[in-house]
Amino acid sequence: MTTATLQTQAATRSGEGARALLVAAFLGLGLVFVAGFAPASALHNAAHDFRHAQNFPCH
Amino acid sequence: MIVRMLSAALVAGFLAAVVATGLQLALTSPLILQAETFEGGHSHASAAQGAPAVAPPAAVTLAALIVPAHAHSHAHGHGDAAPGETSDAWEPAPGFPRMAFTGLATLVGGVGYALLLAAVMLALRREPTPQAGLGIGIAGFLAVVLAPAIGLPPELPGMGAAPLALRQSWWLMTVAATGVGLYLIAVRRVPLTILGGLVLIVAPHLVGAPHSVDTVSSPLPPATAAQFAARSLAIGFVFWALIGLAYGWAWGLFARSAGADAPVRAHG
Repeated sequence: MTTATLQTQAATRSGEGARALLVAAFLGLGLVFVAGFAPASALHNAAHDFRHAQNFPCH
Repeated sequence: MIVRMLSAALVAGFLAAVVATGLQLALTSPLILQAETFEGGHSHASAAQGAPAVAPPAAVTLAALIVPAHAHSHAHGHGDAAPGETSDAWEPAPGFPRMAFTGLATLVGGVGYALLLAAVMLALRREPTPQAGLGIGIAGFLAVVLAPAIGLPPELPGMGAAPLALRQSWWLMTVAATGVGLYLIAVRRVPLTILGGLVLIVAPHLVGAPHSVDTVSSPLPPATAAQFAARSLAIGFVFWALIGLAYGWAWGLFARSAGADAPVRAHG
């Protein structure tokens, strides 16, 4: 019983960890894409100085 | 756990962005504005304000943050401009709005980097402490800033360059290869993976970054470009180190508020 509970908890934790990892990676890549790569010229112009300063390839 | 991670990443990204924005406005933005005066086709913004189209560099540097000179989007002479990009595309107004958007972009990028750092810490199963965060932050600097800069040095507007898509692909490939290489060397740490890691880190530079044939004819003073590259790398280091440190710090900060994540749970 105790072992089963612990196993369930461990599974829940690692499942939560995997979900957190996916959320972080997905959101992080999305934000970095918007700030550093998005080709829309309004986004490019808004982030222009940041892109140059952080050495993203920019125009 | 997800809420705690997102909160810590927001705090870390914000703190690092505040510092990095200050450094960018003080160190790199004036050089970008100065470089734009060497770019062709920029004159309308300056002329509209009655400023000389090409001012001496010293005056430009002093007046850099108030003299409007942002019109680089007209100067896409290298043929890599996004399709549909025209001279009347929206851009932030010179002066404060432009500085504000630089800050906003830095914030978005900082939170994005902080989330990626969080993802790496989760994948490595490292408990986020300021120390562990600093370690991953420095690895992030090496992989995301320093490695691509070896092939594609930080670039000012108006410097001749290879097509954008090629440079972006090489940049992404180098970041990914260096990241995996650092993981194989620092985390796996057996001779075979260290060898593999070194190969991965060196390979993009053996392949070579896409270079333009026309880097020599840029009218930009080489000293300005060199200064910009050095400052850019320094800011990148501060940015990444702070993101790592602050993520570890904020993770601890949110330990109490996230009761559901406490190590001891009620037995079901």
